[in-house]
Amino acid sequence: MLRITLWALAGLVLGIIIHVGIILSLPALARDDVWSRVSALENRDRFVVLEDVAAGEANPFELDPEILYAVCRINLEAAPGAVSGRLPDAFWTVSVFDATGRAVYGTTNRSGIGQILQLGIFNPAQTRLLAEQQLDITEGLLIVESRLDDVFVIIRLAPPHPAVRSRFRSELSGLNCGNA
Amino acid sequence: MCLSIALGLGFGLSYLALVDRGLFGTFRLGPWVAWTGVGSPEPDPYTRAYISRSRALQLARAEGIRFIASHDSAGQALERECTYRIAGSTPVSSFWTLFAVDNAFRIISREGTPLAMNSQRLARANDGAALIRVGPDLNAENWLEIEGRGNYRLVLTLYDSSIFSGFGSLVEVLPTILREAC
Repeated sequence: MLRITLWALAGLVLGIIIHVGIILSLPALARDDVWSRVSALENRDRFVVLEDVAAGEANPFELDPEILYAVCRINLEAAPGAVSGRLPDAFWTVSVFDATGRAVYGTTNRSGIGQILQLGIFNPAQTRLLAEQQLDITEGLLIVESRLDDVFVIIRLAPPHPAVRSRFRSELSGLNCGNA
Repeated sequence: MCLSIALGLGFGLSYLALVDRGLFGTFRLGPWVAWTGVGSPEPDPYTRAYISRSRALQLARAEGIRFIASHDSAGQALERECTYRIAGSTPVSSFWTLFAVDNAFRIISREGTPLAMNSQRLARANDGAALIRVGPDLNAENWLEIEGRGNYRLVLTLYDSSIFSGFGSLVEVLPTILREAC
């Protein structure tokens, strides 16, 4: 009996070790992660507006059908990233994620931005240059710092009515994204 | 036996920890569950593993939060053949949406009908409260028509929400999901 209990306890401890190992190693071992999916959109330095989701069809990004999504990838190694443009008069949000899927920044138009978006994305070295005033930036620029050079920007836009969806879609695709 | 317990526990616990209902790193309010750390700059290890597994476009914390319910308020799994009444208020938010998905996150609204409900296009009572019914049978007021058989999940996304500005009245402000008919 004691022998069985000891084996069970050993299994329990080993199981917890396996569990912790899986949880800690999954982000590093995952090949088909959100970054690889975003990269497949061919959206380096330009916004790609995602197709609307339809009933019964695959929804790999788990999109909200009421929202229009524009996604852009930027690499900060050579120069800071810049996102700019005028958004329609509706509710929208902007967020920046790094290649690991970690949120770097997020805000909405209800935070006082209005309809004009001006976002600068800097890596730590560029932020240092910014602090030393060795980089020129435009007034009113939202400054975001990312630890990693590979980042992607998501703009979510909520059309108030389905009838304006196609117009909002074309306005989203006209936003600027890339290196400054 | 030792190896069976270890593998069963290790892989089983990991699977349960990383599904939408989660075991650690999630926040539960009645039938609603949210991974609160997905939009955080420093997510905990479980949330990081969940982000890797889900491969979805997540919301940064300032943008909003997504709740998922796979059970009604009585604890029964949501079934497509049944009609559910979703009643009560939502936390203060600029905009919210509600839609139904299957286990693969495919939208299960009937083709040709709205895919989701949103806070800007709802019929409301004089006190501002909105009543939503989700199910396959014709319903008055706000009706999210779904089709098919089997279990499903409801996704409630609150954009620009004040939900984390104070935890005092949270349980009262997320809607209840009540089964009406099957």
